[in-house]
Amino acid sequence: MKKETILLVEDDPDEAELALFGFGKVGGDYDIQLTRNGEEALDFLFARGCHAERPDSRKPNLVILDLDLPRVNGFEVLKQLRQSTDYRYTPVVILTTSDEQSDILQGYQLGVNSYLCKPVDFESFADLLQQVSHYWLRNNAIPDHHKQAR
Amino acid sequence: MMWHFFRYLSFSAYRGLGIGRRLLFLIIFFSSLITLVATAIQLYTDYRRDLSIIKTRLHDIESSYLGSISASLWNLDIQQLRLQLEGISQLPDIQAASVQENPENVSDPLQISRGEVRGNNVITRQYPIVHILADGPRQIGTLTVQASLSEVYTRLRQKAVVILLSQGVKTFIVSLFILFIVHRLITSHLIHISERVSQFEISQKQPPLSLQRTPPPEPDELDQVVNAFNTLSRNLRQAYEHMHEVNNALAKDIIARRQAEEEVKRLNAVLEQRVRQRTAELEAANQELASFCYSVSHDLRAPLRRIEGFRRILNDRYHDRVDEQGQHYLNRIAAGTHEMAEMIDSFLRLSRATQGELKVEIVDLSSLLKRMASEYREREPDRVAEINIQDEVRAPVDRHFFTMLLSNLFDNAWKYSSRKDITRLSFGFEEKEGERIYFVRDNGDGFDMQYADRLFAPFSRLHKSEEFEGVGIGLATVQRIITRHGGRIWAESRPGEGATFYFTLWERNTEREEGNHTVSRG
Repeated sequence: MKKETILLVEDDPDEAELALFGFGKVGGDYDIQLTRNGEEALDFLFARGCHAERPDSRKPNLVILDLDLPRVNGFEVLKQLRQSTDYRYTPVVILTTSDEQSDILQGYQLGVNSYLCKPVDFESFADLLQQVSHYWLRNNAIPDHHKQAR
Repeated sequence: MMWHFFRYLSFSAYRGLGIGRRLLFLIIFFSSLITLVATAIQLYTDYRRDLSIIKTRLHDIESSYLGSISASLWNLDIQQLRLQLEGISQLPDIQAASVQENPENVSDPLQISRGEVRGNNVITRQYPIVHILADGPRQIGTLTVQASLSEVYTRLRQKAVVILLSQGVKTFIVSLFILFIVHRLITSHLIHISERVSQFEISQKQPPLSLQRTPPPEPDELDQVVNAFNTLSRNLRQAYEHMHEVNNALAKDIIARRQAEEEVKRLNAVLEQRVRQRTAELEAANQELASFCYSVSHDLRAPLRRIEGFRRILNDRYHDRVDEQGQHYLNRIAAGTHEMAEMIDSFLRLSRATQGELKVEIVDLSSLLKRMASEYREREPDRVAEINIQDEVRAPVDRHFFTMLLSNLFDNAWKYSSRKDITRLSFGFEEKEGERIYFVRDNGDGFDMQYADRLFAPFSRLHKSEEFEGVGIGLATVQRIITRHGGRIWAESRPGEGATFYFTLWERNTEREEGNHTVSRG
């Protein structure tokens, strides 16, 4: 069975490591790709630049996005995703430390599927990661043409 | 001088009756009265005298003519009688004379008369003409003499006219003379004095008042008036100068005072400006501090999560390799990060309670609290609790902040009464002096009133954290929210006997955002 691909965009290595650790046992069920900045994330998404070799089968099914990213920030990545035909309906979850109303609002205006604040408690954080992946990749249905485009 | 006099006359004509005129009128009036009385007396005397002259004359006629007329009549000497009557009638004042024979003696009595007899103003005398016969006297006729008074009256009238005219002219001339004298001696000087008095100018030096006349050997009343006026004006001037000096001093004083006032005003303005500036700076600093506080708290979360995360990794992956002591330390780290996380969360809540707009609406506090109470009961179903919430308590508040506030107060009440067998919580309000005072009461551990003022300060706890959980920032948040609702909050308690938190809303004279609030009421 082909593993679903999750693109995790996180610049902080500690955070990234914790996130990967947070996926825990369910982490093995998915193909998790980590990118360190917005530009790299876009490269991976559109299979260009340093990720030009990315096979079509690894096209992300879920994007977990931090907002505060170097080079291209999270909102810009989100905007470009929603403008492309490939990723118009792909679930994108913002996972960040900011709970500013303006950020939340902007996220939803740009078409994010979920806006999640990182819980301080690690257990909750790990739970959240697992639940989010499970929900968007197993429970949630998206329009067919997107699947065909895959 | 005469010109002055006429000017005075015309002057006094329109100024009412001046002294001179009044004097003139009085003199004329009185003089005329005297003249009239004197004339009347004189005329009366003249009249009596004339009358007595006439009477004497008549008497003379009787004594001198009656005998000869008697003889003439007896002899019937008509020629003689005519002559005699003619003589009588020629006498002054005698108008007519007639002789009539006694009709008893003869059938055709003789009647001779001279002069015209008129009825008015006449004195008529009839004398019997007696002839002495041998058998005695016998009346043979009557002599009638009429004396006229009209001449007397004419004389009197002429006299009266002459007297009145001469007296009138005399009176008038004398009066004019008196008037002239009065004017010359008194009125002109009075006018002069009055002109000078009316021109009197206290602020100007003027020559002393003097009369335009050759001074009399002894100073008279006018001199006294002039002296009095000069003394008065001198005194007035001195008083005025004194007053002027005092005024000047006062004015200088006032100027100095005004300058001082202006200086004070200026300093005040500077001070106010400084205060405004400081306030603005303070507000800016406060704002900065608030946002700093917020962002710091916020940023602290990330590293804290990492510590907790990596502790978790250590705990999970390296469980076998960490000995018991190590496990203990890991647990301590867990407890520390948990506490810090809570602190950060409540810090953020406090920070949010100070910021953000209030959306005031009528909120049913009772139903809010009832919902909370049922949550507490669900959370601890075994705990025996009597929760008494007054019905229908509504207040104009911000729903979001008040949910935070009431849950803080109720949390505290619930928390600190956990060691009682029965938890008793109540909420409601009392009216005191027209003011609504809300309260949240518990029967918990309470606190010592001497620490009451520390109750609402951030991070101050009256109980050891081992006894009750929490970081001690809840009441600070509560106070911020109450302050923003224009109210005060205070608490009353005794250790072991529970605590009551009172609060008010929208008090008059409280500024909405930064009202002075009492922390406690001993």
